[in-house]
Amino acid sequence: MQTQYGIVQVKVTVAGGKITNVSFAQLTAFDPRSQQINSYAAPILLRETLSAQSAQVDSVSGASYTSAGYVQSLQSALDKAGVK
Amino acid sequence: MGTVFSFDVREPGVDRAVVDDVVSWLHHVDRTFSTYRADSLINRLSDDPTLATPEVDEVLAACADLSAETDGFFSAYPNGTLDPSGYVKGWAIERAADLLSAAGSRNHSVVGGGDVQCVGSAAPDQPWRIGIVDPFRADQLLATVTGSDRLAVATSGTAERGAHVFDPHTHRPATALASITVVGTSLARVDALATAAFAMGPDAYAWLATREDVQAFVVDTHGATWSTGEPVPRMLYG
Repeated sequence: MQTQYGIVQVKVTVAGGKITNVSFAQLTAFDPRSQQINSYAAPILLRETLSAQSAQVDSVSGASYTSAGYVQSLQSALDKAGVK
Repeated sequence: MGTVFSFDVREPGVDRAVVDDVVSWLHHVDRTFSTYRADSLINRLSDDPTLATPEVDEVLAACADLSAETDGFFSAYPNGTLDPSGYVKGWAIERAADLLSAAGSRNHSVVGGGDVQCVGSAAPDQPWRIGIVDPFRADQLLATVTGSDRLAVATSGTAERGAHVFDPHTHRPATALASITVVGTSLARVDALATAAFAMGPDAYAWLATREDVQAFVVDTHGATWSTGEPVPRMLYG
């Protein structure tokens, strides 16, 4: 969304039907006009053992997280950290 | 639903109210499909099939197609009674991502219960990057998936809740594998395929290799890993 500080990204976490965390991070220019439309490229799956804390991922996929497990989960840590 | 959802909107100019609307829709999905709610539409269907809505018909039709494709290893009746939850979770997240697109966002991801649907890219010229959690070590990743445009990642396994994936044929827990991650463009699809493949046990590898529109990453109970394109491991039974 556009604010007086520039463009920010909104990250919203929902648990138990309520929005529990909203974080904002300022983006440097993400200019919609420059977004290229590329032909579809297959995703790259790379086998690499990484510590989740230093892996710089946007989110994680793992066997189902229940609400209770969410608190300890990596996804929870990523959501709290907001945007890198 | 007991599932936690995260919305990560990278598109500038998307109003926060859009996310509120999507959350409302997810409540609607819960009221319709939750088997934990006595008054949910899906629970009342057996007494009154005329209650079915176009949405319910769409979900049940997709479940029927997937059941046929997976030789019944994916089923809307995993324990003998109607329970399409294995499809609904991925479908709901994918639809939530589509609602955000309809509202004008071209770059966002929606995460729920360990499943991820991404649209566009994480930043200009930066694809989304999703980690696959080690089923034996929650602080460690075994692989990463990077992609743009439309990326879906779903993982089925025993790590979080114990042996909760059942083989619909035997009604016994599937235990030969620790986790299966399926990567494609549609979360509804990859979520169901991951569930079905997990229930197949050792036969999952060969079957996943025949699904040309997805990639898979498998961890067995010994910690050995396999991904699409590698030779299918021959597992010893017993």
